[in-house]
Amino acid sequence: MGRTGRCFSQERTMRHSRGKALVRSALLWLAAVVCVEGCGRKPDGIPADAQPETSAQEATRRSAETPVATTPPVAFEPPALEALNRDAKWIDRPVRDGLQRLREEQVKETPQMGVPVALEMRNDSAEANALILSALGRLPEAGQADLGARVDRHVTADLGSTNPIMISTSAEFDILGLTGFGLFSFDRALEPFATADTVASWQTSADGMFDKVVLRDDLQWSDGQPITAHDIAFTYRVIMDPRVPVPAVRSGTDQLAWVHAYDDRTVIFFHKEPLATNVWNINFPVLPQHIYADTWEQDPTLKDSPAHLKLEEKPVCGGPYEIVERTRGQQIVLRRRANWSTVGGSVVREEPFFKEIRFRIIEDPNTTLLALKAGEIDEMILLPEQWTTQTKGEDFSKRNTKVTAPEWVSFHFGWNLDTPFFADRRVRRAMSYAFDHDRMLEQLCYGLYQPAAGNFHESSWMAPRKKLAPYKQDLDRAEALLDEAGWIDHDNDGIRDKSIDGRLVPLEFSMLVNQQPLRIAICTLLKENLEQIGVTMNVRPVESTVLQDLTQKKKFQAYFGGWGAGTDPDSSENIWKTAAGRNFVSYSNAEVDRLFEEGRRELDRAKRAEKYARIQEILYEDQPYTWLYWRNSFYGFSKQLRGYVFSPRGPYHYSPGFSSLWKPREE
Amino acid sequence: MEGSMTPTQPMRSGGFWAEAWRRYRRRPLALAALVFVGWLAVVALFAPAIAGTKPVLCRYKGHLYAPCLAFFDRRLEPAVFARDRFRGTYPQNLKEKDPDSWAIWPLFFQDPYRAVRENEWPGRPANPARDEGHPSASHPFGTDQYGVDVLAKMVHGTTVALLVGFVSMGLAGTIGIVIGALGGYCGGWVDMVTSRFTEIVMCIPTLVLILALTAIIEKPSIWKTMAIIGATGWTGIARLTRGEFLRLRQSEFVMAARAAGAGPVRIMLRHILPNALAPILVPITFGIASAILTESALSFLGFGPPPPSASWGSLLNDARSNYSMWWLVVFPGLAIFLTVLSYNLIGEGLQEATDPRLREARK
Repeated sequence: MGRTGRCFSQERTMRHSRGKALVRSALLWLAAVVCVEGCGRKPDGIPADAQPETSAQEATRRSAETPVATTPPVAFEPPALEALNRDAKWIDRPVRDGLQRLREEQVKETPQMGVPVALEMRNDSAEANALILSALGRLPEAGQADLGARVDRHVTADLGSTNPIMISTSAEFDILGLTGFGLFSFDRALEPFATADTVASWQTSADGMFDKVVLRDDLQWSDGQPITAHDIAFTYRVIMDPRVPVPAVRSGTDQLAWVHAYDDRTVIFFHKEPLATNVWNINFPVLPQHIYADTWEQDPTLKDSPAHLKLEEKPVCGGPYEIVERTRGQQIVLRRRANWSTVGGSVVREEPFFKEIRFRIIEDPNTTLLALKAGEIDEMILLPEQWTTQTKGEDFSKRNTKVTAPEWVSFHFGWNLDTPFFADRRVRRAMSYAFDHDRMLEQLCYGLYQPAAGNFHESSWMAPRKKLAPYKQDLDRAEALLDEAGWIDHDNDGIRDKSIDGRLVPLEFSMLVNQQPLRIAICTLLKENLEQIGVTMNVRPVESTVLQDLTQKKKFQAYFGGWGAGTDPDSSENIWKTAAGRNFVSYSNAEVDRLFEEGRRELDRAKRAEKYARIQEILYEDQPYTWLYWRNSFYGFSKQLRGYVFSPRGPYHYSPGFSSLWKPREE
Repeated sequence: MEGSMTPTQPMRSGGFWAEAWRRYRRRPLALAALVFVGWLAVVALFAPAIAGTKPVLCRYKGHLYAPCLAFFDRRLEPAVFARDRFRGTYPQNLKEKDPDSWAIWPLFFQDPYRAVRENEWPGRPANPARDEGHPSASHPFGTDQYGVDVLAKMVHGTTVALLVGFVSMGLAGTIGIVIGALGGYCGGWVDMVTSRFTEIVMCIPTLVLILALTAIIEKPSIWKTMAIIGATGWTGIARLTRGEFLRLRQSEFVMAARAAGAGPVRIMLRHILPNALAPILVPITFGIASAILTESALSFLGFGPPPPSASWGSLLNDARSNYSMWWLVVFPGLAIFLTVLSYNLIGEGLQEATDPRLREARK
């Protein structure tokens, strides 16, 4: 029961709420979506400490040629602030309040229907979905929200660690996103900015080599100590210390040359190169220096010593919430920090809408749905099957409503180019033409998903302006391509074969897939289609961890997987660049390599977009993947919840994200 | 026995097996179970002719073919159909590509591995998918989420269910009898070694071993599962065989054989084994039942034969994601229940028919 359950539910990809805070979302998002493909755990499959050379760094590294920076460049002498201020030409960058911006946007819109009507409505059409979203997705008017409310959220797995720099799984993003302190975030259009809650000003030098951030002076850790620029510089040194087993955060941070705190409020990030992606590299979680300064040296694992064990249980938090209770494997309770919004007796920041957030840990999706129906949790991600067949009745709609929105998570068959079959582009294209895409979308996916034509979502800025048409089934074309490639049934056994090195090799391969019924059904459909044209495919369902392991070691012929889009297209470089860490299919194309390199250095958005569009066109022609579908977000929400607004990364993982949710005051 | 008291009416003894069969026949439930298993065997053997989408026999371009054999092994499908781009759908293509062709179709035109498409059989709609496949006239047992007919799946699943029982217990029986016979007959250090070995194997939990092996094995298949069930399930048989051999090797007829100069192998196979077989058959029949259950459990957990499979257990697994599709639980569940029950009834009947002590107790 639990097995498939877990895979299903851990499809929940990363969430990070409050948007503020966090970590170089682009990369981690990407990192984490192995979760999509590989069900949670560490995003890279390999714990960093077990294999320091190939861990997070390699797998999520952005650039292959810059050497892996495992030690901070000690020789770095930060120049004097006066000299910098004199020589550099500073350009102001945006400092915004995500919640405030959403409020301003919503003032301009009028809801198409009243809340009571929307609550009674059944979500059975696209129109109904839009109406429900427009009525229930609104922020509260003054005094409307119940600030003493508690929300019961759902996560599929317990935390591996409560230390924000150890963040790596989706559950950790959900929870540490609310308790962690950060300087940067991004909005619904994935545009980055510094958060007004924590930052007074943000400037970048005209040559793109420095970023200067001035912190607000009214920031406190949960133990009452001030949060300063020194904490940020300190955290940089900890993250880059090779002895510290950081699973995911180090990639991106390793692109920085140095981080220096000039006083309590001013911190400057020094870059190695002026890149379009620098804006994501300066975004990492922050540790309290006064807590870790001594203990870090004694125990670089940050989790083994008694002091660190104590911190695991009761971490010092810098975000709007703190962890107050933790029952392993069952629940994690967060409470709103008083000294987040009120410092020195005066209100300096808006109070978050919930007093308490309770994360319930439930693995099995069926159990989760029962908990939602019973009112034990307030929200969950629904599976397409649950959306279509198990949430239509009164038992669901009595307490809950459901909404859907497009999300940038796509799934594919990956073809290993290192095999005699798929080295040939014609064979890969034949596979794409053989597959019955329409039947998959209509019947297996219940008509809920959009077809995918390539790695960037068609509504994103980096997608080609001339839309690529998703592949459709065309068996004649598939057979013609296979004939052309030399795969013909020579020995009359009904299976195509080809003479390779004097040996007749039949066109027979295995497709790795994790143990999830929908994915197995999709692979089985491909098997059926291929059988029609004389190709044998064996569906091989394996444990997600096995799948992750085999794909990483490139011990496969074909596999079923998925990726979530990063906030920046550069984050997919490590999937397509020659010999990159996530290039499981061994794809190699000099032009694609060059375009990624140029795209990162191109600061003009329109010109950058052209480069990525070209990459997508090349990939479309080469079909190293057969792209299948974009998976929508499907959420079940308690009728008490309001304020959910969806981004391409779901309702939580941007700014304001989760912090726009609220519960109305009881009348 | 009373008959033997009166010397005027001598009664011919039918021999041990005939006697056992006579007694077995007196038990209606055991007999019904045997008939049921026999019927299942017929279904399994003729599965492609009962439910399928390929002609049992057809004449195409002047030759006779039996494409339905492809359900047993894909290579048995005549290559001419692949060359002529039939793409797995026969009814329309046969007529189109050779107007003179004829075909004998299976009784029930449904495929155990895929949904039948619209107009694949002229005039018939596509199979209902999602949760709409209620049992109906055209799908007596309904269809699953992906539109595959449950009856067709169950018919073809019979092969798996029966094979699992017979192959794995055939293997277990062979290993068990050989090891038990060696230990029981030879005694001494041989007995010591075989008994300890049996005890070690008894400690291995089959289900866990299979789960572990499926993670390692490159190409899992139902045959490998059977092999593992067989290779771990022989311990009870070995112990019983050893006991029987220990007992019988002291008997007069063995001594007589030995005096007549028979070698140990001959004595074991020819003289002791036939006399020891009856009690050994009982755990084998129970073993068949439990092997079927193990396979269903594995499929239910998702570790069964690789998809698309028609095993009964995997049908139950499909039902798990949507309990409102009751027909995915009831029919395969009933099939597993009845089959396992039948084997148990057969085993019990066999025990009662062959064990004189039980017979005495009954009286």
